Amino acid sequence: MESNNGGGSAALIGSSGTVILSPPQQQQQTVDVHQLPCCIKSNGPSDVSNYFKPKSSGIEVDGGLELKEAFYRGRNLQGFTVPLPEGYSGFIIGKKNSNKDKTKKTAGTGKAPEISSNSSENHWETLAKCGNMTFWNHDSLPSQDDASMRVFHWFAVAKALHEPVSAEELT
Amino acid sequence: GALPKWALEPCMMGIDEAGRGPVLGPMVYGCLYCAVSFQKTLASLEFADSKTLKEEKREELFESLKANESIGWSVDVIDPRELSAKMLKKSKINLNEISHESAMGLVTRVLNMGVLLTQVFVDTVGDADKYCTKLSERFPSIKFVVAKKADSLYPVVSGASIVAKVTRDRALRNWTFDESAENMHRNFGSGYPGDPETKAWLEHHKHSIFGFPTLVRFSWGTCTTYFKDGAEVLWEADGALDEEGTANKNGKRQLKLSNLGFTGGKRNSEEIESSSKGRCKFFQSRKLEQLVQF
Repeated sequence: MESNNGGGSAALIGSSGTVILSPPQQQQQTVDVHQLPCCIKSNGPSDVSNYFKPKSSGIEVDGGLELKEAFYRGRNLQGFTVPLPEGYSGFIIGKKNSNKDKTKKTAGTGKAPEISSNSSENHWETLAKCGNMTFWNHDSLPSQDDASMRVFHWFAVAKALHEPVSAEELT
Repeated sequence: GALPKWALEPCMMGIDEAGRGPVLGPMVYGCLYCAVSFQKTLASLEFADSKTLKEEKREELFESLKANESIGWSVDVIDPRELSAKMLKKSKINLNEISHESAMGLVTRVLNMGVLLTQVFVDTVGDADKYCTKLSERFPSIKFVVAKKADSLYPVVSGASIVAKVTRDRALRNWTFDESAENMHRNFGSGYPGDPETKAWLEHHKHSIFGFPTLVRFSWGTCTTYFKDGAEVLWEADGALDEEGTANKNGKRQLKLSNLGFTGGKRNSEEIESSSKGRCKFFQSRKLEQLVQF
């Protein structure tokens, strides 16, 4: 996931694509999603469940969530698992390869996929679902004030913004 | 158990460590204490520096000192996960500090048991005089003797070295891996970075994403050579990422943590830096941005 210094990205703004959330032939698997406080410069599958072993502490932190502890590359991580708000679902999506009738996983290419300027290739489909996310901090207790947690505030704002307004409410 | 009667007499204690240098496994601090009046008898028990003894002999001596009612002992086993984590914290704690804290923890533990410690002999870690001052300030009632090779000079420290070494060897022998990967084994060798058996073990157990099993001390310089083939990992604590999760400008890598895993595309550094400018503060502070292209 390296950035490039070339220009031309602006030309892409406004291009469109599709995200297919329910591929008919694929049984949707529910997976655990972890957000780590580091950048792993690699894309691809790994035997995460054999190496990443979060442990529950039995201690409740901010917001009544249970504190978890894990280690990654020698660092101590502290985190909690946050259920997605009612009415929301999490999807792991991968880029759909238009040339072949086969899914080219974002997570399976071994390097960062190129942004295609051809909008017809910008099609994504669901690889798995998640019902919660685990957010990890390095050396600090997870909190509702963490930037990753504050992202969820958007849901309430979006709801208020998009909710139909009745005639009485306008007066 | 109950405090022995001799513990109320003036007592002496020796402190030594095992497994400070190895790249894997726990570091163990051990102590052995007895009444000052028992000193001569202790000297006759033929404790030698644990490193000069064979493993079987050490085990035998450990069993005999455990059975001896005139001797007390205690250990502090510092897990490799704890060693790595402390040395790789945002504000890093070096190995000398960890060692000093462990030794002082043992002194505190024994004092709290009610043992009348008057003299403590310690094998030095770092500068002996500075270490002695640090210990004396923390425990003003105790006379400290801090020396190089204390384990071969003072029988009470030799005894402590046996306690520490046997405990470390057993911990390594009975180590249960956190990992459930296949093909893992426990032929660690001595754990010293130069040991061919240890090298072979490290080579066999390295992992491109996870580095090593948590038995390994990731903070050891030796690890870096094995990570060369693996995936690079950037941490805020190393200055590679700033508080916003954006890679440092000096590093010429502009990445947003909030985007990691969500965007795979190549992104222009200017685009990312300017993305929050002119946006509502609500979105800025939540690191939310509208993504038109992904």
